[in-house]
Amino acid sequence: MHLTRWSRRVAGAAGLVAGLVAVAAAAACSSGSNGSPSAGTTQVTITLTNDGCAPSPASVPAGPVTFTVKNTTGDKVSEAELKRGGTILGEKENLTPGLSGTFSLKVEAGDYTIECEGATTDSFPLHVTGGTAQAAADPAVAAKLNAAVAGYQTYVLAQADKLGPATTAFTDAVRTGNIAAAQRLYAPARSYYERIEPVAESFGDLDPDIDARADDVEDPSAWTGFHRIEKALWQDKSLDGMTPVANQLDADVAKLVARVKTAKYQPAQLANGATELLNEVASSKITGEEDRYSHTDLSDFEANVDGAKQAFMLLGPALQTVDPQLYTTVTQRFADVEDALTAYRGDYAGSSYVDYSTVTEAQRRVLTQKVDALAEPLSQVAAKVAG
Amino acid sequence: MTTGAADTPGPPAAAGAADTAASPETPWPADDATPAARRTSRRALLGFGGAAVAGAALGAGVAAPVAWQASSNAATPIDIVEFFGRYQAGIATPAPARLAFATYDLTVDGTLAQRQAALKALLQAWSLAAAAMTAGHPVPGDLTDPEAPPADTGEAYGSSPANLTITVGFGPSLFDDRFGLAGRRPGALADLPRLPPEDLDPARSGGDLCVQACSDDPVAAFHVIRNFARLGRGTVVMRWSQLGFGKATSNGADQATPRNLMGFKDGTRNIDGADRASMNAHVWVGGETDQPWMRDGSYLVVRRIRMRIEAWDRDFLADQQNVIGRHKYSGAPLTGAAEFDTPDFAAKDGHGEPVIPMDAHIRLVAHENAGGIRILRRGYSFTDGMIADSGELDAGLFFMAYQKDPRSQFVALQRRLGSADALNEYIEHVGSGLFACPAGLRGPGDYWGSGLIG
Repeated sequence: MHLTRWSRRVAGAAGLVAGLVAVAAAAACSSGSNGSPSAGTTQVTITLTNDGCAPSPASVPAGPVTFTVKNTTGDKVSEAELKRGGTILGEKENLTPGLSGTFSLKVEAGDYTIECEGATTDSFPLHVTGGTAQAAADPAVAAKLNAAVAGYQTYVLAQADKLGPATTAFTDAVRTGNIAAAQRLYAPARSYYERIEPVAESFGDLDPDIDARADDVEDPSAWTGFHRIEKALWQDKSLDGMTPVANQLDADVAKLVARVKTAKYQPAQLANGATELLNEVASSKITGEEDRYSHTDLSDFEANVDGAKQAFMLLGPALQTVDPQLYTTVTQRFADVEDALTAYRGDYAGSSYVDYSTVTEAQRRVLTQKVDALAEPLSQVAAKVAG
Repeated sequence: MTTGAADTPGPPAAAGAADTAASPETPWPADDATPAARRTSRRALLGFGGAAVAGAALGAGVAAPVAWQASSNAATPIDIVEFFGRYQAGIATPAPARLAFATYDLTVDGTLAQRQAALKALLQAWSLAAAAMTAGHPVPGDLTDPEAPPADTGEAYGSSPANLTITVGFGPSLFDDRFGLAGRRPGALADLPRLPPEDLDPARSGGDLCVQACSDDPVAAFHVIRNFARLGRGTVVMRWSQLGFGKATSNGADQATPRNLMGFKDGTRNIDGADRASMNAHVWVGGETDQPWMRDGSYLVVRRIRMRIEAWDRDFLADQQNVIGRHKYSGAPLTGAAEFDTPDFAAKDGHGEPVIPMDAHIRLVAHENAGGIRILRRGYSFTDGMIADSGELDAGLFFMAYQKDPRSQFVALQRRLGSADALNEYIEHVGSGLFACPAGLRGPGDYWGSGLIG
């Protein structure tokens, strides 16, 4: 299945902020009749107009918050985002005048902004008071979760540090018109990106700029990123006109690396990001949609699984305390997926795998089943580690 | 809605037990109830004082979600078929309008003990979920934690189960060496022999386990096979599935006989599920079985029968009626005037030819011509759209039949048809499955196949 640019963005945000989309959808279904809020959830109303999107109240205690966004009259605005340090934590889109929607998430103490592109004033402060939302009842578990978050920060930074030079090596080959070298450097550069893709997706347009497919963009001439160059390398077999695209890719990756340095995470984000990575595998890699010209999908597949496993393993010590059975199940299912992937080791096009077009439909089905078998219990982890 | 808290989904874990305890309905007797008595009809529930009492009957006394009553609309149909009992529901019980059928293959590995434990855990989880879904509750588990995917997928939330039944069977492949069950395989579960003419697609045949979900609401039926796949993730994968969009065969004397996609009434002479003597004689496994765990169970044969609809539709009426042996509109045999008239297979026309032709479908399958063989048919019309290669409709009858022993019943009947049936020109068997459906679940805590793997 193919994700549109719009849904990719929403999916990315959902992956990082604990099932936003699912919560919003559930709220939409109950449509005001009997959706009594669960105890302890703070309600914030955001009235969206052409003038702005002020939250009410503007200060809330840390913990679960449901944001209700109502577009009363704003024809120049259609979305509201909750941001912290430049990262979108939650959003509601496509609200034309008269429509409303909700999103819910757990927030920790700190300063946030509510933003609405297109309004006269497009940023409003939201202050969250009190302790952190992730303060688990058991201090030993809380310490393990803090260690997990710190470990994930280090991991993301390390991947980003490698992504920069690997991308430059690739784009250098593109700029010098060396098709063979660029083809060899394409998959290795992408692997660093694919390991931390949910983080990249949380930075709004950066993921589409770096990773959009041809059918993600309305205007083909505005298509940028890895896959634009992939098409030039494998389908067009010409790098004519690719230098500006290569330059833009370098700049977008540099932006990503800079933003990653200040990104902060919550334990549930790690878990949901891991599930999101496996959803990416099932929806984009196994279908052959992601790398449709190069057929290096298995390299991206491995990187997604690596990134997911890293996040899960960091949560492991806490999860072993909270739900050892779930820890054991997920660990075993990761091993099953890795074993399944090992069967396709090779040395195609600079990757460590075979040409994906040689993998049969029956084999792809088994890969999907293994990924689904892993992602189902993995999707249970976030709630266990979310304070 | 008068029960207040029931509006908010809550943990339905206790719902199964509460159902039984709180129900004003007479619990289904182990032996003598007819399928009709098993149905908790809307009228019966309203008779106890309207929807509010119905809510209490269904477990709302513990603030479990009586999801489908949230509309507080007393006109909403409230139709529940009792899940627990001596026999599995979904066999003798009146067939509702819609079917969702799926088969699953087990994928677990590890030691024999680990594989057996995984199979048991799966059947327990499915049983728990089925007890809830058939009573109109969501799959047990948390529905409200904002951080977690809800335990139930939600599409049936707020809807009546609409006579939902869930029936499970075990395929021959379950009895290989993976689960140590080779010695427990019933003789009656012998692999079906080749039954020409057939052109079976392996991708639409077989399976370690099968699930038949029937309901008057297609969403309620689909909800079952979807949630079973989800509950089984990592233990089973779906092998194939088939939706049936219309009941094609009646299985009860009090039902109007539906028509299959050939436009003919189907099930006129079928076994009546409420006829205990016939059920015991032809359908329920009794003391004759070589495997005691199959007592009170039944064997299910499914056949995906594609109809060559385009060819059938240009056959002239008299020929269509000769192929079947019945009048198209009344459903009467060619020798009779009314649907339920007994066919006269000896009757000759003015030229000395049999009125019901020698190759007519009903002549070949009639029990009086087939050594007394009868089966309980419970088929559904299906379509999966269009066959891309030809542009013809991919539609037909998803044939399902329950019986005591397929070797002497379905196989024997199909052999009679295979060589001679005039219908063969217009149909093609393209998928097949055989399953041993064990006895019903005794109550909360019991699970499918407890007698086999317990």
